[in-house]
Amino acid sequence: MRRRRFLTAAAGAAAAAATGVATGCGNLHSNDPDVLTFMFRGSTEERDVFSRAVDVFVQRTGYQVDIISTSADQYATKLQTAILGNSTPDVFYLEPPRTMAYVTNGVLADLSEYVEATDLPVDDIWPAGLDLYRFDGEKIGDGPLYAMPKDLGPFSFGYNKTLFEEMGVEPPDKDVPLDWDEFLARCTALTGDRDGDGTTDAWGTSVNIGAEIHSYVWSNGGDWVDADRRTVTVDTPEFAEALQYIVDLREKHGVTPSINETEGLDGYQRWLRGQIGFFPVAPWDLTLYRTLDFEFDLCPYPAGATGTSATNIGSLGIGVSATSRRPDRAAELAMFLACDPEAQAIIVGEGQTIPNTRSHAAKWVEETDVEPQNKQEYIDIVEDYGRFVPNAMTYTPEWLDAFYTNLQPVLEGRQDVGEYLEATQPVMQGFLDTGYEQLRIDQKANS
Amino acid sequence: MSATTSTSTLTAPGRGDGAAPRRRPGRGRLTRPERIWGRIFIAPPVIGFALFALAPLLFSLYAAFTHWNGLSSPVFSGLDNFRTMSGDAQFWQSLWNTLFLMLGIPIGLAVSLALALALNRRMPGRTAFRVIYYLPGVSSVAAISILWQWALNGDFGLVNQLLASVGIEGPNWLAEKMWVKPALIIMGVWKGIGFSMLLYLAALQSIPRTLLEAAMLDGAGAWRRFLHVTVPMLRPVTFFLVVTGIIGGAQMFAEINIMTPTGGPEFGSATIVWYIWQQGFQNLKLGYATAMSLVLGLMIFAVTAFQFYLNSRNVFTVE
Repeated sequence: MRRRRFLTAAAGAAAAAATGVATGCGNLHSNDPDVLTFMFRGSTEERDVFSRAVDVFVQRTGYQVDIISTSADQYATKLQTAILGNSTPDVFYLEPPRTMAYVTNGVLADLSEYVEATDLPVDDIWPAGLDLYRFDGEKIGDGPLYAMPKDLGPFSFGYNKTLFEEMGVEPPDKDVPLDWDEFLARCTALTGDRDGDGTTDAWGTSVNIGAEIHSYVWSNGGDWVDADRRTVTVDTPEFAEALQYIVDLREKHGVTPSINETEGLDGYQRWLRGQIGFFPVAPWDLTLYRTLDFEFDLCPYPAGATGTSATNIGSLGIGVSATSRRPDRAAELAMFLACDPEAQAIIVGEGQTIPNTRSHAAKWVEETDVEPQNKQEYIDIVEDYGRFVPNAMTYTPEWLDAFYTNLQPVLEGRQDVGEYLEATQPVMQGFLDTGYEQLRIDQKANS
Repeated sequence: MSATTSTSTLTAPGRGDGAAPRRRPGRGRLTRPERIWGRIFIAPPVIGFALFALAPLLFSLYAAFTHWNGLSSPVFSGLDNFRTMSGDAQFWQSLWNTLFLMLGIPIGLAVSLALALALNRRMPGRTAFRVIYYLPGVSSVAAISILWQWALNGDFGLVNQLLASVGIEGPNWLAEKMWVKPALIIMGVWKGIGFSMLLYLAALQSIPRTLLEAAMLDGAGAWRRFLHVTVPMLRPVTFFLVVTGIIGGAQMFAEINIMTPTGGPEFGSATIVWYIWQQGFQNLKLGYATAMSLVLGLMIFAVTAFQFYLNSRNVFTVE
C-alpha cells in the first residue's frame, strides 16, 4: 500500500512537472487578459519611482498591472527572449535602435489611434521625442507613432565651478559656446598639480569617446551617415579633424587623464572627486551630483568649425505589444507614464530626468533652488541643437559598434586618424548595407 | 520460489511459492504494472530531453540555414550564413581568441598536478590548503570576474603592485590587446585549479603502492617513478580534464562579458560564444548565431572524438 501511494505521488509530481513545461511556466503574459504586464529596467531608485507612478495609474483606472523590472544589463536579453517565446509584455521599455526592427516584425502596436482619442496631454510632449518613435516603414521620424518617449536625456556639458575658482580660470559663458582653441586654453589652465606632490591631480576634461565624440564631430560639420542614412561618412576631413582634436587633448596637450590614469580611476570617478574641470552632466546623474563637495553648472559643448554647439539626446521609449490582449489599456499606461502631470511629478521629482512635457519644463527651468542653475541648457538641447545617436535611425546598430572595435590604437596615438577612418568606413558601410538588406528580407517575410 | 531454464519467473512480494504467474516468452522479467510504472518514471527525463535538447537541436539545424532575427519566422537562405561566416573577420578573430585562451588548459593541469603532488604528502595544514585551493571552484563566476577586474587594474591592481614590488612595471592588462588574453588565462587557471587538483589528488591516492615499490626495487628514482608510474596512472583523469577543459573553454562567456564587455581592446578577448551571443541578441541575427553555434558544436565534437581516438590508442592495463 505504501509502495502504491509512493508511486502515485511520484506519477502526480511527474505529471505536474510535465504540465508546467507544457503550459509555459514563467510566461510574461498574465493568464488574466485584463491584467497588464509592464516590463522595464533601471537602477533600484528608478524602479521604485516607476513603480510608484504605476501605482497611481492603478488607483486611478482600477486596472491591474504586473510589474517586471530588471537591471539594465539584463533587460535587452530578457525582452528578446520574451518576444521569442511569444510572451511579449503588454507594455515595455523600448531602446530606440530596436524601433525599426520591432515595427517591421510586428512586435510593436501602432499607438496613433489611442493618442488621437486620449485626454492626456500627449501634444505637450517634446516633438523630437515623439518623432524618434515614428516610423513609416523606411525612415525614422515620419509615419505612425509606435512608442511614447519615456524620457529625453539631453547630454549636456558642465563644469566644476569650484575648481574653476580654485585654479583662477574664467568660467564658460552659459549661452555662447567656446571655440576649440578657447576650450583648449581653459583646459590647459585647469590642468595641474594642486597639492604640490609632483603628480597632476586636476585636468581640463576627460573625454568618454563613445558618448562625446558626437558633439565634436557634429559641431565640426561632420556626421556619421548622409541624410538618407545609407552611406557612412566617417572618412570626411571634418570627421577626421574632430577625432584628431579629441586624441590631441590627451596625447599632445595632456589636458585629460592618460589611458593608464583613466584605467585606474576613470574620468567619471575623477569628476566625482572634483579633479575634472569640464565634464558631461546628464539628467540621470543630477541626484548624485547634487551630493558632491563642489558646485557645478551647465554650459554648451565647445563648438568646432560650424561655430555652433552640438550634442546627443538619449531616450527610451515605452512601447505596447502588438499582441497585447488589451492594447487600449496598455496604450493608456504608456501615455500616462509619458505625460500625465501626476506621474511626471513623481518621475521628475527624483531628479533623474528632465520633464517630458513642455509646460512642466517651463516651470522646472525656473526652479533655481537646486543645481544646476542653468537648466535652460537642457531645454536648448532638446528644442534646438541636440540630435539623436545615429544608430537609433538605422535598422541594426552594428555598423556604429564597428567604429569603436579597433579605435584604441588611435586614441593612444599609435595609429593615424585618417588612416583609421579610411580603413573603417568600408567595414561600417558593409554592416550598414547588411542591416538594410535585413530590413528588405524582414519586410518581405512580414508582408 | 522456482525458476525454469526456458523462461524467467518472478515471485511477487507477499506471494507464496508457486504463485508466480508464468509469462510469455520475450516479454522480459517485469510484470505489466511494473513496465507501466517504469515508463512513467523514465518519462520525465525523456520528455525533458526531447523538449529541451532534441527539439532545440533539430530546430537549430534548420535555423542555421535561415535569415532569422528572433522576432518573426525564419526565412530559408541556403548557405548564406556559412558564406558570411567564412568572410567574417570577427568570427575568425573570436575563434582564434578562444583557441588562444585554451592555452590555460595545459598550464592549469601542470600547476594543479604539482599542487596535488604537494598536498598528497603528510604536512601540517594540508586540509586547510586543499580547501583554500578549491574555494575559487565553488565561487560565482561573476564575483571572480569582478575580483580579477580589480586585481588586474593597470594602476592600482594587486597584480601590478606585486610586480612592482620586484621592480617590474606591469602592463594595463585588460586595456592592451597584447595582455588581455594572458590576463584571462591567468584568471582561468586560478579559477579552475582547485577542481583539477582535487581530481588529481583522488587519482594519486588510488595508485597502488605496490607499483611504486616495485619500480623502486627495480632501481627507479623519484623522477622515473613519477614519469613511468604516476603519470600513466593519472592518464584517465588527465584525459577527463582535457576533454571537459576544452568543452568548457570553447563555451567561455561570463568572464568575457563582465571583464571586457565590448570584446576587449581591438576585439582581443571576444570568445566565440560571446560573439554568438552578441550577434544573436544584440544584432538580431539569430540565424547567423545559430549557424556559428552549429560550427562550434561540430568543432567540439571533432576535437573530442579525436581525443577519444588518441586515448584509445594509449590504453594500457595493469596485470
